[in-house]
Amino acid sequence: MIAAIGLVLGIVAGLFLEPTVPTWLQPYLPIAVVAALDAVFGGLRALLDGIFDDRVFVVSFVANVLVAAVIVYLGDQLGVGSQLSTGVVVVLGIRIFANAAAIRRHLFSA
Amino acid sequence: MTPADRSDGATSDSSVANDRLTDDDTARRRARLRSALKPRATRAQLVAALLCAVLGFAAAVQVRANQDAGLTGLRQTDLVRILDDVSERGGRLQAEARALQETRDRVTGGSTGTLAALEEARERTRVLGILAGTLAARGPGVELTISDVEGQVGADVLLDALQELRDAGAEAIELSTVTGPAVRVVASTSLVDVEGGVEVDGTRLVSPYRFRVIGESRTLAAALDIPGGVLDVLRQREAQAVVTQRPSVLISSLRAAPSPRYARPAVEGDGQ
Repeated sequence: MIAAIGLVLGIVAGLFLEPTVPTWLQPYLPIAVVAALDAVFGGLRALLDGIFDDRVFVVSFVANVLVAAVIVYLGDQLGVGSQLSTGVVVVLGIRIFANAAAIRRHLFSA
Repeated sequence: MTPADRSDGATSDSSVANDRLTDDDTARRRARLRSALKPRATRAQLVAALLCAVLGFAAAVQVRANQDAGLTGLRQTDLVRILDDVSERGGRLQAEARALQETRDRVTGGSTGTLAALEEARERTRVLGILAGTLAARGPGVELTISDVEGQVGADVLLDALQELRDAGAEAIELSTVTGPAVRVVASTSLVDVEGGVEVDGTRLVSPYRFRVIGESRTLAAALDIPGGVLDVLRQREAQAVVTQRPSVLISSLRAAPSPRYARPAVEGDGQ
């Protein structure tokens, strides 16, 4: 519940503060958001499985974001940045769907 | 890594077991969910809330940045590609514009050329129409009236007069009986003596004859009046000839334009 409130607070802050994204961060922010989303879904699923651990959640959150950013950075350096970004998004998307399916089963037993 | 990190996507096949849950399982599950949703200020909840806030913030920022992002948020490679596209498109459009300009120049230039040619052709038609006798003509000139009382004036005298008038620069000539039929005289006009008169291009004319001539009137009059000329001959034949210079002579008799059966316009440079 507190987590949901935090999410809403974050969204509201982002909408009302209207910060400009620094140029160096611009390529990585969308991927980082998707990776964080994946971590949050994973955490939610773990919560419903009764095995949620805040330490693991923090580590997986940060690691997901960092790995995604590193992959994109590497892709940019290699000249395949856009393709690699697409690949990362696809993989994370698949994981999000899988976690969402597990959460759905927990909540609706279907 | 503990089993809590379940974001690896490979653990989605526990559903078969979950489909046949006992009431006990369901109850435990409900309790767990309730406790998770209950707001408690545990460290776990606070950390999760913090990270969720970060996520929401970043997502909102990104969405906003994406909405009003023009080219600023793009990668260098994308920018280069876009630049390439734009310059290529610009080149194509420039080539197209050049081609269209050439076409326009050709069309407009051609149309003025065509107009000029058309105007020239009309002018030539008018000139040739006067020469060929297909157009009525008006201009300064002379009238020559010949009253052949003795019947001494034949085709030869009229032809002489005709040639004299042509030599003097007559541009249009009409030969007629004064109160009768008129014949437009052209290059192919023939004069034949017939009983009581002269047949001109198949039309029988009788005295008194009248030439209507358009040209420089004084030159024409002088040409008729030279010693040993037309008027002299007519006097010798005892015919009365009157030359009248007029500022405006109207020649209204026409003839049909002959259409050549065999001759065709030759293309210039045609070696055949």
